[in-house]
Amino acid sequence: MQATRREFLPLAATALSASCSKKQMEPMIKSGTSAVVVMKAASYSVDLVSKILDGIRISNLDVKGKKVLLKPNLVEFDHNTAINTDVAVVAAAYEAFRSLGAQVVIAEGPGHRRDTMGIAEQAGYRQGLEKFDSVFVDLNRDDVTAVQNFAHHKQIYLPNTALAADLIVSVAKMKTHHWAGATLSMKNFFGLVPGSVYGWPKNFLHFTGIDKSIIELNRIFPKTFAIVDGIIGMEGNGPIQGTPKHAGVMVMGTDNMAVDATCCRIMGIDPNKVAYLAGAQHLGIVEQARIQQRGETIDSVATDFQLIKEFANLSLRHAVAQSMKAG
Amino acid sequence: MRESYLGRRFRHLKQTQNSDGGWGYFEGKRSWLEPTAYSLLALHEEAGTPAWEKGWNLLRSWQRDDGAWRPSEQVEDGHWSTALAVTLHCIRGAYDSQFRKGVDWLLDSSGEETRLVNRIAAYLKGESPTGHSLEFRGWPWRPETASWIEPTAHSLVALKKAAPQISGHLLKRRIVLGEGMILRRRCDDGGWNYGSKAALGIDLPSYPETTALALLGLQGNRDAELGPAIDRAHKLYNEPQSPMAKSLLKLSLLVYGNKFPEEKPSDAGRDVLVTAIEAISSSGTTHPLLRPVGVA
Repeated sequence: MQATRREFLPLAATALSASCSKKQMEPMIKSGTSAVVVMKAASYSVDLVSKILDGIRISNLDVKGKKVLLKPNLVEFDHNTAINTDVAVVAAAYEAFRSLGAQVVIAEGPGHRRDTMGIAEQAGYRQGLEKFDSVFVDLNRDDVTAVQNFAHHKQIYLPNTALAADLIVSVAKMKTHHWAGATLSMKNFFGLVPGSVYGWPKNFLHFTGIDKSIIELNRIFPKTFAIVDGIIGMEGNGPIQGTPKHAGVMVMGTDNMAVDATCCRIMGIDPNKVAYLAGAQHLGIVEQARIQQRGETIDSVATDFQLIKEFANLSLRHAVAQSMKAG
Repeated sequence: MRESYLGRRFRHLKQTQNSDGGWGYFEGKRSWLEPTAYSLLALHEEAGTPAWEKGWNLLRSWQRDDGAWRPSEQVEDGHWSTALAVTLHCIRGAYDSQFRKGVDWLLDSSGEETRLVNRIAAYLKGESPTGHSLEFRGWPWRPETASWIEPTAHSLVALKKAAPQISGHLLKRRIVLGEGMILRRRCDDGGWNYGSKAALGIDLPSYPETTALALLGLQGNRDAELGPAIDRAHKLYNEPQSPMAKSLLKLSLLVYGNKFPEEKPSDAGRDVLVTAIEAISSSGTTHPLLRPVGVA
């Protein structure tokens, strides 16, 4: 049987973690409520700038004079599917934040391939983003600074461009993920970890634990805004080999966890069963009752994303069926 | 007279050298080992000049007590780019204690999947944890992680260059095991992905850069059937590619004896590493330095 890294890495990570001292997770739960904006967007040709400006306004985000880093999800390119954040969404976000007086860079460190510029070219970023070469930073090969404490590690090296940003905008793709269940705005932060230090793939994160690494990166970068491109997402064997899924939606907010929890509900996934969401409630809000849903209701845009059999238990339908069975 | 393609790259490299002697990945950025090693290799005919020696001394200063090289002044950890430092020592003919410590570190380094705890886990599960044979040992990007194609390829280049200086069977054994690892992870299209030929039972395509580097690492292997891999590299080279992919593919095809027409004059890009690789793959005299002894 081929490619059982999926089975191996968690196993290895567990074995390694067991022998290391674990940092206790903060027990507290974030208080209050978080607003999440859900907007319909039938295609990439609608006025995405206006939608993003609405999302920023509703979220009460003031970015004038701020250093804003737009972090798309740029992984690999395959004509047959929808792996990356569509360039139209990235271009619209760039225009929206610039129009509000922010200093904007677009930055990404793809996880599998060191040839960032090659992927950017294939994914249409060079053609679709004005002055691409002057606004794009390859985070894999940026200068770095050590940040103390990362899971059970003494430190992690992170790109200076990301550390210097006042706001990191996770311009993510709505996808299922064959190791994490779903990859949305929080998992997108893996691209902030520099390949020049950790390699391609960033295997250090797998050995640390995927869920733990997602949580830790989101702890280190708390000033965020999320824009999830669910216009065409990916279902099945994501994040690379899945099938395009038209969901016709964009989800935005300042609380990445609340945004991801909302995305999960739209995708028919129970966010409480996604390990990194369940394990990080000190960072943000997952509970539906404490998320102020703005724009569209979840029901009006919900569309089930197909899950691989290993994650069938994450399905909200599965949860309902189980509770009916138990009842 | 218009400055040649190669001349522009040499000039760009000289202009982008940092005051500490090294090179950053991009102009104006801090020095890193990888672009510094490639730039020193590209400019190897300048060895002995103050500028070249400053870069060489900087690179040498980044070796740790355990023999590994750190990837930059800012990063403390041992790193795969130790292989580049060892290769450069061979090309320089600097077979001193630093060279030997670097070789020893490489010989001691291997993917985490071959460690006892993971072998036991594999045994208990009745299969290889990675879907790969654990008989073969590649190299990781950094300690305590699994082995991958690219660091393994670089380590093979380094150890093959170092082989004439190192006695004992260990080095030769690691070369055999490392080559075996690369050969067994070849994609069905003939080239190499970053590490797995398939994921969840679905074939993965090869990439230009990893295919090029795997071929570099396999130089001198007379047993493997590399024809399909070279064909794949040719095919990729003839498709539209980024400057990085194009220059790495050209370099790998050159070491296998392929010829290319002289490049038309064009400016170097802002990527210093790519500029250095373009210079190495265009000079006609530099790529042979990456061949192991005994390979014409």
